[in-house]
Amino acid sequence: MSTLAQTRAMSQRSVLALVRQPALVIPSAVFPLFFAALGTSSFSRAVNIPGFPEVDSFLDFALAGAIVQGILFGSITSATALATDIETGFFDRLLAAPTQRTAILIGRLAGAMAYGFAQTLFFVAVLVPFGLRITTGAVGLMLMAIGGLLTALAVGALMSTMALRTGSSEAVQGSFPLLFVLLFFSSAFFPRETMSGAYRRIADWNPVSYLVEGFRSLTIGDVNATSIAQVVALPAALAVVTMTGALAALAARTRRG
Amino acid sequence: MSQSPIFAHDLVRVFGSGDAAVRAVDGVDLDVSAGEIFGFLGPNGAGKSTTVRMLTTLLRPTSGTARVAGYDVVTDADAVRRSIGVALQDAAIDPLMTGRELLRLQATLYSIPRTDGERRSGELLERVGLSAAADRRVGTYSGGMRRRLDLALALIGEPSVLFLDEPTTGLDPMSRISLWEEIRRLNADGTTVLLTTQYLEEADQLADRVAIIDHGRIVREGQPDDLKAEVGAPTLFIDVETSLVGTATSVLGTFGELRPTAEGTLGVGLHDGVGAVSAVVRALDEAGVAVSHLEVRAPSLDDVFAEATGYRLEGADADGAPR
Amino acid sequence: MSSTIAPAWGLAMRSLRNIRRLPSAFVPALMMPLVQVIAFSGTFAGITMVQGFPTDRSVNWYLPLAVTMGSSFAGLGTGFAMIRDLQSGFYDRLRMSPAGRRSLLLGPFIAAWARALIAVVLVLIVGVTLGARPTSWVAIPSLIAVGLGTATLGTGWGIGLAYRFGDMRAAAIMQLTLFLGLFLTDAQTPVDVMRGWLVPVATVNPLSRVLALARQGFIDDGASWATTIWGLITLIAVSTATGMFAMAGLRHLDD
Repeated sequence: MSTLAQTRAMSQRSVLALVRQPALVIPSAVFPLFFAALGTSSFSRAVNIPGFPEVDSFLDFALAGAIVQGILFGSITSATALATDIETGFFDRLLAAPTQRTAILIGRLAGAMAYGFAQTLFFVAVLVPFGLRITTGAVGLMLMAIGGLLTALAVGALMSTMALRTGSSEAVQGSFPLLFVLLFFSSAFFPRETMSGAYRRIADWNPVSYLVEGFRSLTIGDVNATSIAQVVALPAALAVVTMTGALAALAARTRRG
Repeated sequence: MSQSPIFAHDLVRVFGSGDAAVRAVDGVDLDVSAGEIFGFLGPNGAGKSTTVRMLTTLLRPTSGTARVAGYDVVTDADAVRRSIGVALQDAAIDPLMTGRELLRLQATLYSIPRTDGERRSGELLERVGLSAAADRRVGTYSGGMRRRLDLALALIGEPSVLFLDEPTTGLDPMSRISLWEEIRRLNADGTTVLLTTQYLEEADQLADRVAIIDHGRIVREGQPDDLKAEVGAPTLFIDVETSLVGTATSVLGTFGELRPTAEGTLGVGLHDGVGAVSAVVRALDEAGVAVSHLEVRAPSLDDVFAEATGYRLEGADADGAPR
Repeated sequence: MSSTIAPAWGLAMRSLRNIRRLPSAFVPALMMPLVQVIAFSGTFAGITMVQGFPTDRSVNWYLPLAVTMGSSFAGLGTGFAMIRDLQSGFYDRLRMSPAGRRSLLLGPFIAAWARALIAVVLVLIVGVTLGARPTSWVAIPSLIAVGLGTATLGTGWGIGLAYRFGDMRAAAIMQLTLFLGLFLTDAQTPVDVMRGWLVPVATVNPLSRVLALARQGFIDDGASWATTIWGLITLIAVSTATGMFAMAGLRHLDD
């Protein structure tokens, strides 16, 4: 079986797993939308405070954070499945079969990428009837979908590294709070400009802030070099780093046997 | 009769409803005498554990009555609990606690004052041989150690009635024998014991009386020796080639009733006693049947069980010793 | 009376000891409200600039929320422990003992109260470090009342669900419902500052009264008899309901 065919088979498996168990999808699909809805109502008057970017409604502001949140939590589901495969020994069976090592990993990540792409479009589709407006139109939307795909790849590779190194689904699930904290200490839910002190500095250093702001500038701003860099180049660069780590972890695990 | 330590009349327990309803216990009567060791013998799924759970107030009977230590298990459940000690099948323990902590907790649950509880815990730990391991977490104990702790926990309240649900399942032979001795000691002190088991040997060795339970009903009850005497005829077991089974069966059938056996063996109850063996061998020889293995056994509980239920008890091999 | 307290105390001590011995359950539960007070006050620091916001420090608004979430989830924690005990069969041992059903229930509550008080103290320490300043002497008694009250309702709800389902589905349900219950309120912003669908929901949700009680010593002109009484009545009513739910569940375990 060629590498491409194997990769396709592995991708199909991971996508099917999501389709068959919709409950897995709820944390990454429903929760971010719920928070966006909650925030839109709670913080509707906050859009006028000094430092808040120009928006028609809080919803336009919140979309970016919702997308990134969905992708972050979705990556846990995928990595947990990988860790479970390792725990149950299915992973060893894959290694024993004439499967290309990388196909195993890429297949799983391909599923995640498809999910990230689809989720971005899905969120927009759901929120438009509630008043969401994307100033950059279809072009911006497509850029965001690509950004979603690349972000899912970057985060997915990072979580897969963890799954491969620990081989424990419990450890992977335990990282949920860490991702949550990472998300919170950024501009995902509120503008950095309104923060102060040490908290502000953490948000300034957090790469998630820039990622979110890329999506946000495509929602409420223009398509320009900065927004493209943040939405496409940044996750792509992160993806390169995390993929390297994931491949190294895969190699380590196959050596261990 | 109501003063029997364990009394049950037409005890029934149904699980589920409608077409999917299962009668796990289907009309069980019990009347255990004080100071007796009563054995409840049957395969997995026969209804032993379900019956014990009803008698120990964990499960409400669907119908029928039961009284333990003179108290109704439904209306006087608290009084029942004060009088009994129970060691269930899975030795449910909290792996995060130490043996000593578990005993102390149990003493507290029985409202035993602290100093008495400490003293009794120490004594029981000594008795079951866990003093050295008492302050280690139970999660580190072996299977045998857990059973022993389970027994200690069952005894903390100095019960007059002790329920042991498959107490030696999964134990090595040494631990099994040691536990049997402990049970005999307890019984000698006057404790009434109801034990369930799937091991014929255990029932035979320990029980004063045995009830055989199958598919939720008691099919035989009595003292082991009496039950064996009822079966009467010794069993002859032979192994023959598969193609000759038909011939062999018809030959054997002339010497007594055929008895259920394990796979690959034929069995017959010798109507005329052990002496008939030579006649059987001659008849088989004349019929052209070569015998690869031959064995004669006096009636055992295995035979009692087979005769009562139509099959041999699983989990036991040919002479009734646990696998 | 002592035959109810002593077994309950023994079970509570076991619960507290065990949670210390299981760091994977203990640490996250402890950290959650602390991270929450830091994260919410920091992220939404700017909210105080909205006209009509009843305090000029975001931590004053979010500290009571963190206490409420921390203690109610401490209550749920006893629910998780109950699921473990039911599945391992350990709970059979407890049920077969002569300890009254009341003491079996009381044990987890005592443990939850202890955990809630720890949460209150820790969140206060972190909150004050971040700049929280009470506006009235009722601040701490109110927090304690809410801490104990929400721990009670969380425990009743958690172990009640554990009895009904006996497995991890109960854990998912108890967390989801409590989370929604606490967030479909004025948790993030006061009702005056909100607009839209959340306004009627937050107004109707009884847990908003509980949050108001928790907050009353931390916001300007927040402390009042009405707030105190409404908050306490809500806590007592919901706790009683969930407590009865739990007791019914225990009684039906032998069905």
